[in-house]
Amino acid sequence: MRRAIWRTRWRWMEEHPPPGPFRRGFWRSPLRGPWLTAVFGFALLIGISVLFVTGLLSYAAYNPDLGANDLTPDKGVLGFYLFDWPTDPVWLYRATQGVHVTLGLVLIPVLLAKLWSVIPKLFDWPPSRSAAQVVERLSLLLLVGGAVFEFVTGILNIQMFYVFPGSFYTLHFYGAWVFMAAFVVHVAFRLGRMSSALRSRNLREELLTDLAHTRTEPPDPDQLVSPNPAEPTISRRGVLGLVGASSLTLFVLTAGQSIGGPLRRIALLAPRGQELGNGANDFQVNKTAAHVGVTPEQTGPAWRLTLRGGQTSPTLSREDLLAMPQHTAQLPIACVEGWSTTDQVWTGVRMRDLAALAGVPEPVTVFVESLEDGTFGSATLRQNQILDDRSLLALSVNGADLSLDHGFPARVIVPANPGVHNTKWVARMTFEA
Amino acid sequence: MNRLRWYGANPLHLLALVASFALAGYAATRLLVDDPWGVALWFIGAAVVHDLVLFPLYAIADRSVQGIVRRRPLPTAFRPWVNYLRAPALLSGLLFLVWSPLILRLPDDYESITALPISPYLGHWLLVTGTLFAISAIALAVQLRRHTGSGPYSPVSPSIRSRSRSR
Repeated sequence: MRRAIWRTRWRWMEEHPPPGPFRRGFWRSPLRGPWLTAVFGFALLIGISVLFVTGLLSYAAYNPDLGANDLTPDKGVLGFYLFDWPTDPVWLYRATQGVHVTLGLVLIPVLLAKLWSVIPKLFDWPPSRSAAQVVERLSLLLLVGGAVFEFVTGILNIQMFYVFPGSFYTLHFYGAWVFMAAFVVHVAFRLGRMSSALRSRNLREELLTDLAHTRTEPPDPDQLVSPNPAEPTISRRGVLGLVGASSLTLFVLTAGQSIGGPLRRIALLAPRGQELGNGANDFQVNKTAAHVGVTPEQTGPAWRLTLRGGQTSPTLSREDLLAMPQHTAQLPIACVEGWSTTDQVWTGVRMRDLAALAGVPEPVTVFVESLEDGTFGSATLRQNQILDDRSLLALSVNGADLSLDHGFPARVIVPANPGVHNTKWVARMTFEA
Repeated sequence: MNRLRWYGANPLHLLALVASFALAGYAATRLLVDDPWGVALWFIGAAVVHDLVLFPLYAIADRSVQGIVRRRPLPTAFRPWVNYLRAPALLSGLLFLVWSPLILRLPDDYESITALPISPYLGHWLLVTGTLFAISAIALAVQLRRHTGSGPYSPVSPSIRSRSRSR
């Protein structure tokens, strides 16, 4: 008896949604429908998978298993895939991280379009038809919150606008795992619907259909299609074109900061789209000496490099280093923020020669310390990085002495290494056998 | 596959979601160590701000623009001129959304970190915005000329006259 009363009440509530967005007729766009949603969903499926993989690669590139390199040391099993980061090809990190950041920016319009296409589902009435639906909606909160959280933290970090609540590495790394947990089940639940929706219309035909011939998609079980569609003001190809043009605009105005060369000048809105000048040292500076508190006094004639790890701890002046065999390597600088430089011509002492001088000819790691304090005042490098012939303690670049901002008197430069691990203003190197 | 009656979907649905929540929880306990309320606020707030602030704002803006356009019909069968306003406004708005910290000069440390000036970004955004609207205006002018066979605002265009009389 009581059950019957509840059932009647429930049915009444179901049939009487509150006014506004909770009524299906409120949503009048004639273009919302499973096909359009599936197109955006498919682009995001590919794009976000690439973002996830390149993101994981960036974590591996920091060699978090060494020394104090790990910025998320509580990772537990989330670092299961880690491997020794290679030094070949020299542009490896430039490519993976350039793709990560540029693709992330290019996907913003697609993400917004996808969310626009399904927003009526947020106001589904009744809010819960079954336990299954309640649990799935909770998962969707992690999906949408996670997606926007990951994009926002990334976008703010590359603009050096550190307003998020904590370390970027902690937030963006663990946030990605929360998001991906929800992403994977979402894909699993919707993959079938996505592929049948994609097959429901012909892309080529859609691209040939103008506004006058644009019709609403047939009613669908997910109720994405409006029951009360307005007259269209744009064709379906028009919507795809707008999203594509938005992505293209973001690409053109950003990619130059990663591709470098003359393209940097068209990267009008990229954080690293500006040139410093034409001099030997006028390529992008990660962090200036003034910003990290390194002064000309510290790097003057009194500066010494200490090599540790062997029986003795030799101390070398810059002149001592210049008296050693000099080698040259053409290597880029590539930052976690996605920007990078084309190859610069570095000259200096091979890391392996310094290891030998320290009395550790077969080093397993080297702990490099800078005059700079703080998170990136030190880094640990692995054997493959130390022994690579192109790995240098550089003294000059492009034929000129290093500038203070680029690490004078001496800095590390290792192929394919993330920028912050190419320690500047090196004061001490500790080799471990 | 059988649906679980009390649950409302097949058991795989439940198992997959529980697995997903377990992994999310594993990451979340690490995400929430330093500032749990702050991070939770940002995470949930991200969805709320998109769904209940950003979306309504752009939807209302689009509605208003469509209202204006409907009150000012252009001659001929060439109806959809609203898109010549929509497209540059959307692109310009999106660029602002993404790069507003640089455009509004919010990151205090930008110049000291990079040795680059932050001042050019506002000008760059305005230039890009101007260019987008100019391209759109030229494209619209070309379309109108094609459809009316005369200048876009030619006073002798019969379609304008008949339309204004009928209002």
